[in-house]
Amino acid sequence: MTGLPVADRSVVRRAALDLIARDRRAVAIVLVLHGAAAIAGLAAPWLLGRIVDEVAAGAGAAAVDRLALSIGVCVLAQGLLSRYAQYAGHRFGERAVARLREEFVSRTLDLPVSLVERAGTGELATRSSVDVTTVGTTVRDVVPVIVIASTQLSLLFGAIFLLHPLLGLVALIGLPSIFAVTRWYLRRARRAYLAEGAATAELTEALTTTAEGARTVEALRLGADRVAYGTQRIGQVWATRRATLALRSVFFPVVEASYALPIAAVLLIGGFFLPRGMVTLGEVVAAALYLQQAVDPLDRLLQWMEQAQRGLASFARVLGVGQKTEPENGSGPVTVAPAATGIPEPRGRASAPSGERLVVRGARFSYADGPDVLHGIDLEVHPGERLAIVGPSGAGKSTLARLLAGIDAPREGVVSLGGRPVTDLAPAERRRRIALVTQEHHVFIGSLRDNLAFAASGASDEQMRSALVAVGADWYTDLPDGLDTQLGDGARELAAADAQQLALARLVLADPHTLILDEATAALDPTTARRTERALAAVVTGRTVIAIAHRLNTAHDADRVAVLEDGRITELGSHDDLVRADGAYAALWHSWHG
Amino acid sequence: MWYIWWLVRCQPWRVLRGSLIGTAWMLGLSVRPYLVARAIDDGLRVSDYRALLWWVAAILVAGVGLAYLGIMRHRTMTFVREDASARSAAVLLRQLSRIGAVLPRKLAAGEVATVGGADVTHTSAVLTMTGPGVGAVLAYAFVAVVLWSVSPLLALFVLLGVPATVVVVGPLLRRLERVESVYRHQQGVLTARAGDIVAGLRVLAGVGGRGLFARRYAARSQSLLTEGYRVGAVNSWIEALTIVIPGFFLAAVVWLAARMAAAGDITIGQMVAVYGYVAVLIVPVWFLLEGGYQVIRGRVAARRIVALLNLTPDDAAPPSGVGRAGVQPAPDCPAELHDPVTGLTVPAGRLLAVAADDPAEAIGLADRLGRFVASDVTWGGVPLAGVALDEVRARILVADHDSYLFGGTLREILRTRAGVGDADIRAALGTASAEDVVDALSDGLATPIGTRARSLSGGQRQRIRLARALLAEPDVLILIDPTSAVDAHTEARIAQRLRAARAGRTTIVLATSPLLLGCADTVAHLREGRIVGTGTHFELLEQDPSYRALVSRRSDSGDNQESVGMDGVLR
Repeated sequence: MTGLPVADRSVVRRAALDLIARDRRAVAIVLVLHGAAAIAGLAAPWLLGRIVDEVAAGAGAAAVDRLALSIGVCVLAQGLLSRYAQYAGHRFGERAVARLREEFVSRTLDLPVSLVERAGTGELATRSSVDVTTVGTTVRDVVPVIVIASTQLSLLFGAIFLLHPLLGLVALIGLPSIFAVTRWYLRRARRAYLAEGAATAELTEALTTTAEGARTVEALRLGADRVAYGTQRIGQVWATRRATLALRSVFFPVVEASYALPIAAVLLIGGFFLPRGMVTLGEVVAAALYLQQAVDPLDRLLQWMEQAQRGLASFARVLGVGQKTEPENGSGPVTVAPAATGIPEPRGRASAPSGERLVVRGARFSYADGPDVLHGIDLEVHPGERLAIVGPSGAGKSTLARLLAGIDAPREGVVSLGGRPVTDLAPAERRRRIALVTQEHHVFIGSLRDNLAFAASGASDEQMRSALVAVGADWYTDLPDGLDTQLGDGARELAAADAQQLALARLVLADPHTLILDEATAALDPTTARRTERALAAVVTGRTVIAIAHRLNTAHDADRVAVLEDGRITELGSHDDLVRADGAYAALWHSWHG
Repeated sequence: MWYIWWLVRCQPWRVLRGSLIGTAWMLGLSVRPYLVARAIDDGLRVSDYRALLWWVAAILVAGVGLAYLGIMRHRTMTFVREDASARSAAVLLRQLSRIGAVLPRKLAAGEVATVGGADVTHTSAVLTMTGPGVGAVLAYAFVAVVLWSVSPLLALFVLLGVPATVVVVGPLLRRLERVESVYRHQQGVLTARAGDIVAGLRVLAGVGGRGLFARRYAARSQSLLTEGYRVGAVNSWIEALTIVIPGFFLAAVVWLAARMAAAGDITIGQMVAVYGYVAVLIVPVWFLLEGGYQVIRGRVAARRIVALLNLTPDDAAPPSGVGRAGVQPAPDCPAELHDPVTGLTVPAGRLLAVAADDPAEAIGLADRLGRFVASDVTWGGVPLAGVALDEVRARILVADHDSYLFGGTLREILRTRAGVGDADIRAALGTASAEDVVDALSDGLATPIGTRARSLSGGQRQRIRLARALLAEPDVLILIDPTSAVDAHTEARIAQRLRAARAGRTTIVLATSPLLLGCADTVAHLREGRIVGTGTHFELLEQDPSYRALVSRRSDSGDNQESVGMDGVLR
């Protein structure tokens, strides 16, 4: 269902180590501070053990007062130390999360268009929202808990060793079973939680799509279908939740039962050695209390293990997006299995082309091992001409447009601009020269200015305004804050035609010499389409225009018309020539024109 | 609250089991300190090896028992919550499927995602109170009794002190959460930006500007980082306090108990046990406090769920229609539809095309004829508003230009009613000239297609929609711009085949394309809210210059004319 890969374990591990390595000093400080805080925290049971011994030895209230006061001091020290430990840890977490999300976005932006199209933006959107947030929460909230708990645990056990090495050895008796079951659990949990997350997302999607398509549901009476579909999703959620619960049902009780084991053992061994004078009662009591105290951090570790699993799963999904192509700050590149990344967008090697002539020679193309959809296209586009490409759906018109724009490279043959293969141009260079306009338009969250600026960095406000006027988007003068008006994300939604005009204004600013229009107005209703076409007319003057058209009036206005059928150009010439030739185009023109 | 109560009532035995096990588990927590204390007092201190063995064995058994209770509690409560979540999702699903066309007007889709996700979870979380919540109260009482038997003074100190500590620390943690929530809001804004970039990825690919977006995102991310540092500074202090306050309390308890032990009022074992009880007591008290907040949050969430459940489909009957004879039988054979607003009469069993100067008027007309809005449309003389809505939906279909495509295999998408076989599907795809769409898919009809069929082109989507509408085989089919996104070749084919496929049944096509209009039995020209001309396409072309301008769309003749009243419409 998804075309986006998920990073494998080793990649995740390397990326995690990489995060730590990049902030080594901070990590060290955090660990030291937490360690110190945990030591201060351990003092209380130790002092309690001392109190037990002193009281047993018949000490008076003064000794008790002194020891109790020391407990208070230790608590204070623990509080202060952990404050600074938390703060340092928090800062580290923030930095790591910021780095992760920025890298995710830059990797996303580097994704080849073809991959995005194949995978669909839905999956990518989930990763950018849910998964990046989950990873953030994990690094900020879960990792500190795990670090603190592990530090406390190792110190607690260390303290018991210090009390008496023998007691320390005995205290470890519960660990083997905990380790074994944790290994067992972690091996299975990752996949189970991934499945659970996917099922939950599908249920939410079932609900939201039912809401989005409510009118269609009513018109086509799809209610029962939707309920059946959603019920199936609910069942799936239930099943995946049961699967994770089954894992916890083994994991939790084994660990919890293991808590009692060392306590019992310490008491038993204590009873054996106490009469022989090898340990004191206080030491045994302190050890038992330490072990009782170890339950809390162990429990926390367990509780968050589940969260950590989710975080890890999300981390894998985040890392799975794209391949980090340029390592930053000297750190090693995080790579993803090659099969995962798909075909990279052609990267530029060649220098700037020396002309505007687009030439296609013997171009054949197939999508991912499929049959050829273009069978040897030869086409020469003269600078400044308006060429219309018409033909039935599925003839390969859009594919040809993508080859011309350099988004895909032909399997055989070549598409060149000014004598250089278009796919050899750096993407940015290429876009400055050739722009592909499709039905798709998107208004970005941000001001109207932001929505224009990215097409041409350094454009002045005046240039932006005249670009808007050029495409007939005079509505911008009605906006409350002019170019600073916020658009998108509930701020202000533009109508489809306005959004398309905005897209065209971007083109005016980007100022490419060649425009490829792939049914740019097809998804609009006829009146809106007409408005947009008028706006287009303003954009295309003075440029080379290749228009893929399903409306024949576009073809009529073009300098030349190419008829594409079954991946081959069957007719090529001016409108009048083709009508005179009395071929397929002529037949169509007559039926259209009535 | 009634809603939550309903969720409880749906699974009484499970909830009861949860309460029992929850109580047993909480009580079980206090068993170990007691056993350890007895092992020290009766075994270690007096070197009674037999007694020590017995107590140690008891500790082990209690450990296993506690583990069993713990997991049973977790399992039961997980089932309780999951049952509630599934039930909530099911009722929401049924409601969303039932409510129909008015929903988008009353509720944003994002709202549905929130209600269906977070609100359902929050509501289910309240049910956790039913099990361990009850247990917490009982456990507290139990520890109180045990402590009292040790020393009333210590008991009072601990029993009041623990809740007092929790009540002090609780609000601190709330505050922590509040500070966090500001941060999280900003994080949400940043997330929206990332989503925005993803959504616009294809645009960026066409026009460029990726670098700018990456830089801008990084800048925002950095400012969130600074904000995060600030949050961290405050949070870490609060978290330190949550360590120090209970720590001081515990120190006070130890001090008090040790002095009593020194004075010989209690034994050393009892002193150790008191220390353990404090830890045990914290669990139920925390639970109650947490539960309190969960209930507050859950009630808000439940209210939102109920609000969604209370939405009703507003049946588009005219106000006057309510008092009238009630449900009237629909005409049982093909019958004329008549719309008094435009004066349009749809002849039964024919292919009628309506060419509208203003697309908005065409959509308004379709909404009236399909009874998506209140109107005085009649159907074979019967007011459409008087006919049972279900029957209207079954027999009159308005196929929107952008009707929704749900995810599923192509076969599932097209099979909107029972009894549609692959042969029917092939036939409908043929009529819609969409065979090539299927041929291009790897598994033909069995190929899964995502929501909104984003992987298909606009023209392909449109033809799939058309095939789906044809397969519904309604008595009256109203098609809005069914071919606006397909090329002229295909449009010509569709126009021919549509006519044959719908022979004998009423079909209304709202379009301005001459290829479609030329195939219709009759064409009606809708201009400024009224039907101004009726006839065949060619008759109208001859007689009606404004019609000619509308449909031929020659850039020279059409533009000026239509620009007169058109620009204001789409704003």
